[in-house]
Amino acid sequence: SKRFLVKRLLLLVPVLFGVATLVFAILHLAPGDPARVMLGQRASTEQLMQVRQDLGLNDPLWVQYLRFLGDAVQFQFGESYQIAKGQPVQSVLFDKLPVTIELAFYGQILGILFGIPLGVLSAVKQDSLADHLTRVGALTGISVPIFWSGPLLILLFSTYLGIFPTSGRIGSEFFAGSDYTAYTGVLTIDTLLSANPAAFINAVWHLFLPAMVIGVYAMALLSRMMRSSMLEVVRQDYIRTARAKGQGLRITLMKHGFRNALIPVVTVIGIQFGTLLGGAVLTETIFGIGGIGTMLVNAIGASDYPLVQGTVLTFALLFTLVNLGVDVTYSYLDPRIEQ
Amino acid sequence: MSTDTQSTQERPAERSFLDRLRASPFLSELLSNRLAVVGLFIIVAMLLIAVYARLFLDLGAITSSRLGTSIPDRAPPGWAGPAPFNEQLFGTDAAARDIYKRTLYGAWLAMKFGTITVGLSTLAGISLGIIAAYYGDVTDNVIMRTMDVLLAFPSLLLALALVAIFGAGLWKAVIALILVYTPRFARVVRGAALKVLEDEYIDATVALGAADPRVLARHILPNTLAPITVQSTLNFGLAIIDLAALSFLGFGAQAGTPSWGLMLSRGVENGLLTGKWWMSFFPGLFLAITVLGFNLLGDGMRDALDPRMRD
Amino acid sequence: MSALRAWAEPRARILGTALLAGIVVGAVAAVSYGVLTEPRRARTVVFAVGALLLGFGTLGWSGSAMAGRGIENMQRYLETGSDWTERDSRRAMTRVAGFGLGLMVGAPLL
Repeated sequence: SKRFLVKRLLLLVPVLFGVATLVFAILHLAPGDPARVMLGQRASTEQLMQVRQDLGLNDPLWVQYLRFLGDAVQFQFGESYQIAKGQPVQSVLFDKLPVTIELAFYGQILGILFGIPLGVLSAVKQDSLADHLTRVGALTGISVPIFWSGPLLILLFSTYLGIFPTSGRIGSEFFAGSDYTAYTGVLTIDTLLSANPAAFINAVWHLFLPAMVIGVYAMALLSRMMRSSMLEVVRQDYIRTARAKGQGLRITLMKHGFRNALIPVVTVIGIQFGTLLGGAVLTETIFGIGGIGTMLVNAIGASDYPLVQGTVLTFALLFTLVNLGVDVTYSYLDPRIEQ
Repeated sequence: MSTDTQSTQERPAERSFLDRLRASPFLSELLSNRLAVVGLFIIVAMLLIAVYARLFLDLGAITSSRLGTSIPDRAPPGWAGPAPFNEQLFGTDAAARDIYKRTLYGAWLAMKFGTITVGLSTLAGISLGIIAAYYGDVTDNVIMRTMDVLLAFPSLLLALALVAIFGAGLWKAVIALILVYTPRFARVVRGAALKVLEDEYIDATVALGAADPRVLARHILPNTLAPITVQSTLNFGLAIIDLAALSFLGFGAQAGTPSWGLMLSRGVENGLLTGKWWMSFFPGLFLAITVLGFNLLGDGMRDALDPRMRD
Repeated sequence: MSALRAWAEPRARILGTALLAGIVVGAVAAVSYGVLTEPRRARTVVFAVGALLLGFGTLGWSGSAMAGRGIENMQRYLETGSDWTERDSRRAMTRVAGFGLGLMVGAPLL
């Protein structure tokens, strides 16, 4: 219902306030002087004093905090100190965000597309070879670190077999502006909107391996969850009743079980998206896809505080919006829940 | 053993851990699980490699650059490349260092820092969990829900946030991970401790005037050992991955250190586009096998401990 | 009116107690830490720690409300089970946030 959605949307306020406050605290507990980071080691004392004055670093902390909150509300984080020196954080984020959204989205889709059927299969054929293979596969999926499986896939499919490109988002033969128009920054959408099928296929081809690598974690979790949820549904009464009426087990499961078993799995997708964002940090680094994940790592490494603040807030915003989407799906699957 | 424990031998909770292990079907259950035995075998093998590397490998020779010596850099493994270089089983890296020796030494580092991370977060988790269970009410509520929120964060992102506070470096990364892993143990310990506290004999002991720490140590701790061991095993692998990930991203081990995460990062940097697969293959293989070993054993232990858990 | 009071009173009590505790602890910490180091540095650190708790508590509170169902389901299907509830979690997070806010208020006071 509408009220339910508005309530969920309002939660964005405390989430972003909490994250902003957390980031403010972290950066003020972190070692290092922002003025020094900005100017480098060879700056003179006068220069340092001047920059400290300009940035308001000499004000009491609560003044700085209130000012920071005011800026954060307008999504103003000032200019990047190091990574994109002199550029406003907003515009850097605007450039890089679609890259990460695209990667995470396709990873999530692959995870759902493979994870849920595998979980169902595992539950329906409990203790069969397929079940064991799925479970060991999921365990292996969690055991193999992204930063190993990623490089191996690149070496095998790109460097040696030449099936997929080694890195980047689209081939160098396609140019933004002439071959496609950058409407959204999400290349698979932009190339479609520009009606350039060759560029679209090229972009999908670039995305395939990284999305696969990042989707494996989601797949492992969702298949485990689906299996366990499905098995619980099987034990419930109405399934037994349906079976007693003479329906076969598999038909019964698909008819009654699947939809009900899906409900708890859907709720988990929102939380698991956070792990996906964590995975994006590694995957982007390995595949040379410059999204906000790589940028966060670089910004932390270079003590680029404004950029760290902006990136973390963006991550939180993304996470909240995905959870909102999950809620909508959920209330569609289980209408009872609308309060 | 003190006379104290002998006189109360009949009480099931006060028999020593080993006794109970032998009496319970835990061990036989575990050993009948083929996958768990494979996991155990992997872990023992890795431990042997780690000890061998620590005792017999010259750290200086595998840490500093060998460029300019007769050893070629970026050379493929001996059995894969041309004849003259076949003394390097896993090839050499961009600084002409022997990847085979570095990978073996990486096992020592992974085991050492994995043990420190898991060990210290277990200790912290035990304290927090027992405090929460014993005092209950507001203390319990605040401690455990805080742990739950921490648990909800993706571990790598949380570790990155802490690294931003502490700064980069292997020991700082370890401290960050200890904080990240503590909630997992706190929750398990609290759950187990609550079960023990529900039993009346604790109430009887408290009524007799036993001081808090004694009650905790005597009664609760032994009963939480089994679930803690399972949890430690399951998380050991994850801790190794996260530590390697931090090193991979440049926040952990410093340049030259033969840690698997750092070796992988160098392998990606120097060998990915040119097809020098050995630079990232071997350290990653050891890492993945080790983690799989801990996951297999941990899963088996969990099943053996609580057969109801298997659907 | 009384319904509003019944709603507000327990919540205000939880927040208020935590806030007061935070103010006292914050002031004491800022002073005693200030003896050891420079007072300005001490106030900064205590304030920042307070902000850390306030941010964590607020995030935890809204996170519990947002993802509560997911967390409950995850624990039910994947783990040994625990007694996590959304309400419980929100209450604890209110305490944490209140204490943090108290630290932030208390630190600059002295």
